[in-house]
Amino acid sequence: MDSWSGIVTGFSVALTPTNLLYVFFGVLIGTVIGVLPGLGPTATIALLLPITYTVEPVTAVILLAGIYYGSMYGGTITSVLLRLPGEAASVVTTFDGYQMAKQGRAGPALGIAAVGSYIGGTVSVIGMILLAPPLAQLAVSFGPPEYVALTVLGILLVTYLGTGSVLKSMSMAALGLLLATIGLDPITGTARFTFGEVALFNGLDFVAVAMGLFGVGEILHSLERTDKVQAVTSKIKGIWPTRKDFRDSSGAIGRGSLLGFAIGVLPGGGGVVSSLASYAMEKRRAKDPSRFGKGAIEGVAGPETANNASSTSAFIPLLTLGIPPNVVLALIFGALLVQDITPGPQLIEQEPEIFWGVIASMVIGNLMLLALNIPLVGFFVQMLRVRAGILAAFALLVTMAGVFSVNNNVFDMWVVLGFGVIGWLMKKTGFEPGPLVLAFVLGSILERAFRQSMLLSGGSFDIFVTRPISGGMFAFMALIIIVSAITSRRRKAVFGRVDPADVDETDETSPDADRQVAAEGSPGADSTTDEPSGSTSTTPGER
Amino acid sequence: MHGSTSASGAPTEGTADRGHRWRQLHRIAPLLLLVLGVVAIFGSRGLGLGELTAPGPGLWPFIVSLLLTGTTAVLVLLDPAEDYEPWTRGTVRIMAGLVSLGVFILLFQTFGFVVSAFLMLVLWLKVFGGESWRWTLGLAVGGTAVMYLLFVELLGVPFPDGLVDAVIGG
Repeated sequence: MDSWSGIVTGFSVALTPTNLLYVFFGVLIGTVIGVLPGLGPTATIALLLPITYTVEPVTAVILLAGIYYGSMYGGTITSVLLRLPGEAASVVTTFDGYQMAKQGRAGPALGIAAVGSYIGGTVSVIGMILLAPPLAQLAVSFGPPEYVALTVLGILLVTYLGTGSVLKSMSMAALGLLLATIGLDPITGTARFTFGEVALFNGLDFVAVAMGLFGVGEILHSLERTDKVQAVTSKIKGIWPTRKDFRDSSGAIGRGSLLGFAIGVLPGGGGVVSSLASYAMEKRRAKDPSRFGKGAIEGVAGPETANNASSTSAFIPLLTLGIPPNVVLALIFGALLVQDITPGPQLIEQEPEIFWGVIASMVIGNLMLLALNIPLVGFFVQMLRVRAGILAAFALLVTMAGVFSVNNNVFDMWVVLGFGVIGWLMKKTGFEPGPLVLAFVLGSILERAFRQSMLLSGGSFDIFVTRPISGGMFAFMALIIIVSAITSRRRKAVFGRVDPADVDETDETSPDADRQVAAEGSPGADSTTDEPSGSTSTTPGER
Repeated sequence: MHGSTSASGAPTEGTADRGHRWRQLHRIAPLLLLVLGVVAIFGSRGLGLGELTAPGPGLWPFIVSLLLTGTTAVLVLLDPAEDYEPWTRGTVRIMAGLVSLGVFILLFQTFGFVVSAFLMLVLWLKVFGGESWRWTLGLAVGGTAVMYLLFVELLGVPFPDGLVDAVIGG
């Protein structure tokens, strides 16, 4: 199927009333949870996984994708108005967006962010249409060794691009792989680590694990911080940016689109990395970098464009290679697996309505978001009135009822609770749940591919390096390890430049405030896990 | 409230004063994982490793648990404590919350959805959310009703039979 007829198929799928309704729900929920601090896209998608069983696979992905890029729009609102990033990718927006709001330019800040996000999303969709089919065609020739290389690459990059300690992330990935082996061995049928518990024969339920680690774990963790959210009472005026605003930010939007697209495609990429990279790029290019942190509109337009572009292009590796590049995509991958659809190179051929339907829904969803955001900002801000305690109580109840509904099994509720405790403890001890879940999802694929490779090669590891594609990928991994070892200092320096410490604060705040904002970003940040924003939050302390 | 600063900003400040105790205590997490890794190594050996030419069911778990053991062993020795969050008064509340979730599951099994959901909402809204009684009861009644309609009537989820079903059915 060529791209053109694919697009036609896609729109015929995405424009059915059900799918239109779900993309609308998706972007609406996404915006709302983007606004609400403490409930990020990862937690929300984890909580809503049970619902996806009741609908068609394509509808499920449309819904979850909508939540993901919708949250990128929503996170902007609180960043600009309250200096409180609703989700990790918007941390950067607080630097200049909040300053613009203080100068009475909250409207244009939100407006340019919405327009930029729309452009970024659209550019990414076009890129996806052009890039995905050839990539999938290349991947069709992949054998087991290539899949070993790909999955290992995905896990490796997620551990490398996360916050803090690579070693900690690596141990979590190992734990995820180990947990994935629980249940009957797919080849010999031997029961592994089931301790005679029949409920474990099919392995730990992915949904229960994800809901526990991200849903319950997040909620508990956010409950412990007793942030007060002040209500926004001032009216937001003049959302549509002026011609000058557009002129000032057009370059940033253009660069943000391309940069975001490129970063999103890379495993481990995603919203946070791309928005930080875009901010750094704009600041470096600016004639007068000192304007940044004082309300430069490019500092809002670039990162907001980039994070939305990357949240769209992140679907490329998932839908063409079957490799989720970050944790949100891992959850969507899990949702598809549960529906007996394994995303991979054959997806475009075998399930064209999923691939093209999702792409078309993104075009529609981004339009909806633009339409929702410009006139309804005031309404979304009112969402902040919902108190954290109420949100937590209902989210937990939905989680518990939801996970029961998956298999109608009380055992899964205990699994959720258990992993909720683990998730919360991991947060407390600086272990990231992201690599664990990603590895857990990829574990069975990796094991099967590894064992098949061993059978193919007669027990020799040469097979991984002698075949050109897998050899190339392993070489690439080696390169990443070496380069990151060399540049880890430099990376810190880049994030140090983006650090909000240079934000000029004269009123209302103590010197501690910068640190607090950065730190408050990180709980939300954890929910996407691909965040270097943790680095931002630690940098001030390190000085 | 000061709680937010101590919860989020303290890892860097707290370690300075209370350094010593922390530096030893924080090793528990990687140590537990290390133990898990070692146990898993023996567990997978027990499953039968097979040969590389014909991998047994234990081979892959064995490789993975080696990785877990290796990384956590280094972590026990080298882990910097800076990304650990301190335990606060909030922590006790979280533990209480966890226990309440466990109780919820037990109640759910015996009394069904309606009673347990209502009690859980009351507890969480009143005790953990600090809502007024009016809000608590209103939201708990409304919330339970909406959830019941959503899950049982709309999605047709067969929750365990409980008191309400017994009353209606009887």
